[in-house]
Amino acid sequence: MNTETLLEPPTQTLDDRAIIHLPFGLLGFEQVKSYILLAAPNEKPFMWMQMMDAPRKSFLIVSPFLVMPEYQLDIPERDVEFLDLTEPTDALVFNICTLRGPGNATINLKAPLVINRYTLICKQVIPDNASQYALNHPLLVT
Amino acid sequence: MLILSRKPGESIIIDGRITVRVMRLEGDVVKLGIDAPRDVPVHRQEVYEEIQRSNKEAVTDSHPPLPQLIVQPPPASPAAKK
Repeated sequence: MNTETLLEPPTQTLDDRAIIHLPFGLLGFEQVKSYILLAAPNEKPFMWMQMMDAPRKSFLIVSPFLVMPEYQLDIPERDVEFLDLTEPTDALVFNICTLRGPGNATINLKAPLVINRYTLICKQVIPDNASQYALNHPLLVT
Repeated sequence: MLILSRKPGESIIIDGRITVRVMRLEGDVVKLGIDAPRDVPVHRQEVYEEIQRSNKEAVTDSHPPLPQLIVQPPPASPAAKK
């Protein structure tokens, strides 16, 4: 699926405390299947994706389109089926950020989190065009 | 490790539900065709490992104060031009 029509950050809307389900978990965290998304007004556009159960660790996520407006992902057909996406606009996309110290943060553009906005089922997807994006793309932060 | 010999066009079946077929040989590249139920994730190992490492690096116990993201303006779409 080509998600060119996803280039509209305003469509990235979710409740402030939505619970998403990852049947496969995240790579390296396969056993953790449920996360709560925490969006605090003073932290926008970042959100925290926190494990529902112990050890309750978190990932920092943000819309990739705010970082790279021309970001485009070719979601493999298998994943489109798994996530039950019929329209590109059914999907919400976030990528995981790593804070590396003052003024230094990166975003993983190679493995986006794709969420079906209706079912809130999520998968960390490796797009067919992942090789054109960086694992540690620098975030412009102040 | 179990080692099996296969020719192009031949397959192996894992657990009665995953088929791995040798599609063709292109120089030193082997093209594999994998049929697996959709609840079985399939990844290239080196890609899987780098993303796993990245996730482990990103996970955090705390919610530290966040920097301000400098948002990139969206590209001008043809529809928006007058």
